Order: sequence, then structure tokens, then C-alpha cells
Amino acid sequence: MSKQRSRSGSAKLMAAQGTAERRGRAVLVGTAVAVLVLFAGAIGFGLYRAQQEPASTSVAIPPGATAQGIPTGSPDAPVTLDVYLDFQCPICKTFEERTGDTIERLVDAGSVRAIYHPVAYLDRFSTTSYSSRSSAAAGCAAAAGVYPEFAERLFAEQPPEGGDGLSAQRLIEIGRSVGAGGRFADCVRQGTYEAWSQRLTETASRAGINGTPTVLVDGEQLQDRSPAGLRAAVEHATPR
Amino acid sequence: MMTADNPRSGRAAVALPWLATLARLALGTVWVVAGAHKIDDLRASVRAVRAYELLPEPAAQIVGAGLPVAELLLGVLLIVGLGVRAGAVLSVLLLIAFVIGIAAAWARGLRIDCGCFGSGGELGPGQRPSYGPELARDAGLLALAGLLARWPRTRFAVDGWLFDTDSSGTDSSETRA
Repeated sequence: MSKQRSRSGSAKLMAAQGTAERRGRAVLVGTAVAVLVLFAGAIGFGLYRAQQEPASTSVAIPPGATAQGIPTGSPDAPVTLDVYLDFQCPICKTFEERTGDTIERLVDAGSVRAIYHPVAYLDRFSTTSYSSRSSAAAGCAAAAGVYPEFAERLFAEQPPEGGDGLSAQRLIEIGRSVGAGGRFADCVRQGTYEAWSQRLTETASRAGINGTPTVLVDGEQLQDRSPAGLRAAVEHATPR
Repeated sequence: MMTADNPRSGRAAVALPWLATLARLALGTVWVVAGAHKIDDLRASVRAVRAYELLPEPAAQIVGAGLPVAELLLGVLLIVGLGVRAGAVLSVLLLIAFVIGIAAAWARGLRIDCGCFGSGGELGPGQRPSYGPELARDAGLLALAGLLARWPRTRFAVDGWLFDTDSSGTDSSETRA
């Protein structure tokens, strides 16, 4: 394969031309690679933007809920609790089991207003985007007025990470078991509140909520999420 | 100038292109894996970038959504060996950016997953950040990418076929392999 070249002047000249040509080609290929990779990035950005609902379009908001979440308790309560949760998140389940009752009692006593934000952060941890589906179903439960009961049952039946999540059928059965009637089944099947779920997830992320569960007591992040920690934080935040 | 590029001492001349080939395939594979893990959930990728609290919102969206696809393509180009030097230089630049991001998160006491291979975001209460290992891994990759940027001639590369006209020292080692 190696070419035998006589070291005559013209051969050297040809070699020099060859080098220049190779260099030119290398520059061309290098530039092309850089442009291609940038272009790939642009495609990713385009895909992302295409998936986003434009902020201007209005999404269907479940009756009883807001664009950001599902409020429970009296709007006049002195302290506001924001609970960001994902039904696929094991620590959220633990939090619900340990501290859920405490929140409920504080809400019933009129000490706090709790706003639940069922965000869909963990779609990667199921094969069926269970985070998104359960979040949208929570919207249906809110519309039916049974969100707290529904959420408790969802955590009790939390599917393992990496699995198929709960089926739409199972979500409907759970809703029925806690008293959601009427259009609940259609609402879950048709994903009526998917856009709402997406929007509240986006809002939470932009507000700097980087993980679940995150609990804010009057906007301050709660560090100790035990019942005692929550009570202390609420007491501290309560104006006297 | 060419002496460093073409080490004539027999063994090094033979070993270097193979070493660079390994570096190229390893680096390319890492990029493909990293990109593939993030590409199916671009929103999660954007959230992972936001969690660093470094970039303004529009930039976080561009980086978060653009990076997985760019990583994937970069990895494929490196694996097939097309534009290896440019790919290696881009790798160096990206890795430097990652190191800065992770170091900045560490320095500010953030508790996040780097999101390098999907996931990302804040860690749970029982989890500890692994900034040290993440930085060490990126330093290792940086070394591979640097090596490749310096000696981009490798075996089984499209580049070799494109620049076949080379009759100088580097390619003559081809016949010995």
C-alpha cells in the first residue's frame, strides 16, 4: 500500500500540496462537526419547546384547584403550607405516612391552609410516565372533591420505581373507592388535566423547587419534616 | 513541530494510535450513554440544569434541552471516528463546563444530583451528594478528551479513510499493525 515516491522536486511540491489539501479538509470536517453538534442541540431545544404548552394558552383547571395546585383548608388561615409531592417518590410516601395526619389536623383546626402541588418530576422512574398520569388524576380527584383521600390511597399503593405504575383502571377504582363519582373515570381516561399537571410542574421547577417532597411554611423551606418539626415551624410562623 | 506528533521510537508509534482509539471509543460511549439517558425526558433535563441555580431561565432551557441531543451526536461521531479532533475539543469544552457547574454546586452547598446521566435535582434526606466522584470521573474523561485532541489519529475511524492520502510517518505505522 505504501507509495514509493522519488524525492524529486516535483514530488515534494505534490506532497506539500497534499498537506495543504489535507489541512483544508481537516478544517472543513472540524467545522462541520462543530456545526452539526450545535444543530443537534438546536433540535433538542426545538423538541422541548414543541412539547411545552405556550404560556399564553389557558389550560383546564380542576374546579376547586388553582393553576399552581390544590388548596385545602380555610383561605383565612394564618399560615400557608405548600407541599410539593410526586406520587412516584418514596420519600413523599414516607412524609405522607409520618406527617400527613399532622397536616390534616392543622388544617382542620384552621391553623394552616395547605396547598398541594402534585408535580410530575419522576416520569423517568416508571415505564408509563406514572408521575404525570397520577398528577393529572389528582386533578380529577380535586374536581370530585376527594383529593386528600385519593392522595392518601395513591401513596398507600405507591408502585415500585422502574415499574409500570398504577394502570388507569386502578386509578379509577381508587377514585371510586374514596367517593369520586360522575365523570371521574372519563377524566382519568382522557387525561383531562394533563396540561394542568404539566403547567404546575413547570411553575414549581421555575420557582426553584428542585426535588420532592419540598414543604414550604409561609414560603420558607421546612428542614425537619417530622410532625414535631412541622408543628414547630407552623407555630413559629403563626403571627401572634 | 512534527516530532511530538509522530513519535518515531517504534513502540510508542505503534501504541499511540491504539491508545487514542480506546480513548475515542470510551469517550464516545460515555457521551452516547449520557445523552440517551436524558433524551427521553427533556423537561427533566431542563429541571436538572435549573437545579444548579447557575443559568438564567432561557439559557437553562437551551442547555437542558440541547445537551442530550448534542451529547448523543457527539458520541456517535466519536465512535465512528468522524472529525475526531473537533469532537475531542468539543468534549474538552463541555467537560470543563460540567466541572465548573459541579464545583460551583459543591462550593455553594447545594445538595443535588449532577444529572449527568439523567435524574438530577435535589437529593433526598438520606442521600449524600457525590461531587467528589463526579468531579474525578469528569477529570478522567477530560484527560481522555485531551489526549484525543492532541493525537486524533486513531484506528477504525472514518477520518482515517477520509484523510487516506497521508503518506507520512503516522500512517506508515498502519502497515505494521
